[in-house]
Amino acid sequence: MPDNWNFVLAAYGLAAVVLVAYWRRLVRRERALPGQSRSTARRP
Amino acid sequence: MRVVGGVTLVALAAGLVMAFGVAPREMTQGNVQRIMYLHVPSVWVAYLAFAVVLVASIVYLARGLEGADRLAHASAEVGVLFTGLTIATGSIWGKPTWGTWWTWDARLTSVSILFVMYLGYLLLRGMIEDPDQGARYAAVLGIVAAFNIPLVHFSVYWWRTLHQPPSLMKPGPGTMPGVIVAALMVNFVAFSLLYVYFVAKRVRLLRREAEAAA
Repeated sequence: MPDNWNFVLAAYGLAAVVLVAYWRRLVRRERALPGQSRSTARRP
Repeated sequence: MRVVGGVTLVALAAGLVMAFGVAPREMTQGNVQRIMYLHVPSVWVAYLAFAVVLVASIVYLARGLEGADRLAHASAEVGVLFTGLTIATGSIWGKPTWGTWWTWDARLTSVSILFVMYLGYLLLRGMIEDPDQGARYAAVLGIVAAFNIPLVHFSVYWWRTLHQPPSLMKPGPGTMPGVIVAALMVNFVAFSLLYVYFVAKRVRLLRREAEAAA
């Protein structure tokens, strides 16, 4: 049977995209909470 | 939380090394069998997540602890994520080995029902405005939906399916070579840590959102 590396890459690539997207969603929602936002303003 | 995240990253990297660097090329399927090191731990995490939903839902109904409700909510969300991954990676694995992306056999159908039931659980929580009522209804659904887990696992024994029977988590001696079992175990640990990290992060977020809304 051929190795079908493209299917292996597709499976692992999809998993990486989904898991990173979920992690980023959690981080973004946490930062959006009041008192959690990071100020980008420069201090004098 | 950062420590758990760091350990999880190291474990996931070790899992990749085991899956691609240590585990041998499988004789019948070739390298496409390496999808197993992603697919099987994903379904393990889904089972674990929904078992936690079951226990936390019972605790919530018995004691009314908000923490138990938040744990059930977080675990259901992560469980749905990993069930979706299980279905998607199984489909990708199925195309080159079975010749089809999808077939309505007992295992694939029962795992789809599991996915839809817990998706419904999350939708139910979002639909009901009263948080206490929503938590109670969700807890009941979380308990009822858990009965589908043994159905998914044993479907390959109870019906004739295209899906192979389990190589692990089955009665009797194992038939897999030790190095493949070891690679699978490292990935089980890595995915379990990822589950703990995601659920802890989600529980904390739910608690902070509730505090902000109060």
